[in-house]
Amino acid sequence: MKDIFTIIFRLTLSCVLAGTVMGTTFVLTNKAKKHNEHVKEERVAFSLLGFKGEVPESVTMETAYRYVLSRGGDQFIGYLMPRQESKEGGYRFLQLDLDGNLAEKYRVDITAEQAAGAKERDQSISAVLPQGVEMRFAEQFKIVFRDGVRSAYLISGKFPGFKTHIAVMMALDSDFSIIGFEVLEHEEDPGLGGEIEKPYFKNQFKGKSFEVVQDLEVVKSPIPEDYLKALEVDIPPEAVKKVMQQHRGDDIYALTGATISTVAVTEGLKGMIKKFAYRVNVLDSVIDNQQIAVSF
Amino acid sequence: MANDKTNFQLVANGILAENPIFKLALSMCPAVGISTTVMNGVMLGIAVLFVQVFSSVTISLFKNVIHPRIRIPTYTLTIATWVTVIDLTLAAALPEAYAKMGIFVKIIVAFAIITMRLEMFACKEPVQASFWDGLGMGLGFLVGMVVIGFVRELLGSGAILGYDVLGFKPLLFFILPSAGFFVVGLMMAFFNYIEIAYKRSKGQK
Repeated sequence: MKDIFTIIFRLTLSCVLAGTVMGTTFVLTNKAKKHNEHVKEERVAFSLLGFKGEVPESVTMETAYRYVLSRGGDQFIGYLMPRQESKEGGYRFLQLDLDGNLAEKYRVDITAEQAAGAKERDQSISAVLPQGVEMRFAEQFKIVFRDGVRSAYLISGKFPGFKTHIAVMMALDSDFSIIGFEVLEHEEDPGLGGEIEKPYFKNQFKGKSFEVVQDLEVVKSPIPEDYLKALEVDIPPEAVKKVMQQHRGDDIYALTGATISTVAVTEGLKGMIKKFAYRVNVLDSVIDNQQIAVSF
Repeated sequence: MANDKTNFQLVANGILAENPIFKLALSMCPAVGISTTVMNGVMLGIAVLFVQVFSSVTISLFKNVIHPRIRIPTYTLTIATWVTVIDLTLAAALPEAYAKMGIFVKIIVAFAIITMRLEMFACKEPVQASFWDGLGMGLGFLVGMVVIGFVRELLGSGAILGYDVLGFKPLLFFILPSAGFFVVGLMMAFFNYIEIAYKRSKGQK
């Protein structure tokens, strides 16, 4: 009988000790881990757009944030967009209803650094919203300007993979064709689903136009020899361009032993692009109709 | 079961005489499933090495305080704690390595070799001996994974460490998990044969 109490006591003590060790490690390492993730995302974003080191002068990037709002029983979509007139920054918060019409428009005077911090951003937005409006952050995306003209978008997304989820960052052209994508997080099997990180898979999506992507399927055949060489950039750049052009309309060739992972990525990217293109078009028409001065 | 081996003998024991994969036939899951390339084998082997050494030392330090009836949950708790610590530390300190190894580190909790070693050795032997034994077992696992990975990568994708060596893929079958069983089984037989031949030649001297 006494044994039970000793057991319970010792086990509880071990759990508390283990918890303390794990908790301490977490607290010590979390900041560095977040910083690493942030740096990695920046690096990935730049490499996706094709900038090897320095970002050229003519290129600027703005970040826009999307929120889901609800007031009473009604739902709205809110966009925090950088204002155009003032060079010091400042944002406009556009509240759109589900039919794509502008419901409200607010001024949010914060800097880009302040907007980057989730808590500060949420607080400054709730400060301008009226009472009784609940808001939830949905996602953020970057708009790349070249000489002041919209040239690319950077979007992130997460979708279910074969094991758990796959998180990606994708660069889209201004007409929503794919510039490229990177896998940020995944837990697929190494050697099988893990091959989604390899160039011969990722580059298959490069350059595919919006129309091609909408009907994109996965086909279970081996990659043609010349296409494979172009995907792995084994041949000179002009030859790569020609071969990629030829295969632009091709479906995605499935990874050996990892069809489900291939399908997951294809469907995931398709969904991301579809939704994003729809939202951007709605946003564009609102901005055009209402003549709102935002950088977009 | 008092231990009378020297530290070097303990390490050698883990690599040769009681190799976890080939002799003890423990932790076959990673040996079969993950050893598709040499790099995977190296990454996982290093991670297991760390967890094994730390867990062995921890249990050996606390061996007088652990109640015999609950030693299994205690082992699992220790292993889980160390795996978490190593996972978090790697993510913070070596993001490049973590990007490759991260998936493997999380799986280590389920390995039989670590729990078994804690039960057979660490809970009875002094700290120093446990450290060297853990090191030996970890190294044995690493060596085993690298060897299996070498065979599977070479025959399956014609490459070693990602470098295309053969220029073609002999038998893609070797990358799939079923081939892992074949390769491990054959290597076990090979390992045993070498040991028998070595003992015979030694006996003849």
